[in-house]
Amino acid sequence: MGNCLKGSSAEDISLLRGSENGAETSDRLGPLPPPYREALPIFYPSPNVSRPVSQLTEEEQVKIAKRMGLIQHLPTGSYDGCKKNRECVICMMEFLIGDNVRYLPCMHIYHVKCVDDWLMRSFTCPSCMEPVDAALLTCYDSNN
Amino acid sequence: MPTYLTIYLLPTLAEPLFHCSTKLYVNQLRVLLTKRLQKELLSLIKDPPPGVLVDSEKAEQNLSIWTIYMKGADETLFAGEEFQLQFKFSPKYPFDSPEVTFIGPNIPVHPHVYSNGHICLSILTEDWSPALSVQSVCLSIISMLSSCKEKKRPSDNAFYVKTCSKNPKKTKWWYHDDTV
Repeated sequence: MGNCLKGSSAEDISLLRGSENGAETSDRLGPLPPPYREALPIFYPSPNVSRPVSQLTEEEQVKIAKRMGLIQHLPTGSYDGCKKNRECVICMMEFLIGDNVRYLPCMHIYHVKCVDDWLMRSFTCPSCMEPVDAALLTCYDSNN
Repeated sequence: MPTYLTIYLLPTLAEPLFHCSTKLYVNQLRVLLTKRLQKELLSLIKDPPPGVLVDSEKAEQNLSIWTIYMKGADETLFAGEEFQLQFKFSPKYPFDSPEVTFIGPNIPVHPHVYSNGHICLSILTEDWSPALSVQSVCLSIISMLSSCKEKKRPSDNAFYVKTCSKNPKKTKWWYHDDTV
């Protein structure tokens, strides 16, 4: 019985190795960095302060809730092939037509999933460092 | 302890932000990190800033720790010197800055570089942005070295080196001088 189990497990491993070499070309550059473990979403009341939701003060919760609301007000769209912005500087991937992008008031654009993560940490544009809330207010003012 | 976010904000407002389960979200971050680091590594190998060389073999073995060799620029106080930098990437890179220190036998004698290799440079902590990269950090360090007018250690070097954490990102840096 012991032999039988050994035989099959060795075979399984060779099968796995075979498929890895064939399909996953991206693994050629070595092992992946350690996995990112987090049981609960972590929030960033200020850029360098991270805490799970249960440890936020009332004031921080309100601040983060407002931030989430503001992020939802920033326009999104699908990438139309505009030549001015070719690459999302956060993931460094070229935009593909139809990608879901978010427009910041300074007119820099990013993938929605890339920039939303950043904005929850720091409410500034990654490219020009302009504070997004101040820019939003200026936009509203000039529209009215 | 009030928990407004958990009770009603998280299921509503937060949903588009965390539109998938935590596990999936974690995987997305991991894919983003790996792809971006691979891209940065390839571009640093192909098109490095002058005087910069990445140990590509080591980095390919372990994408989260890179060793970078840097030469002091010509016609500066560090001309002819060679340094080694270590970049460590947390699983949250590029949202978190990399941990960058000088390592090896030659730590540049510079007013912003401690003798243990820690560097006082604001883009490595509070002024970090995900639009910055290994390449732009290298350029900043080169320009920081090049603009040096007098080779000396920071004035609080002895105290800092004795008391600091191993990780320079845990230091509460006080950036007070933009001229060097």
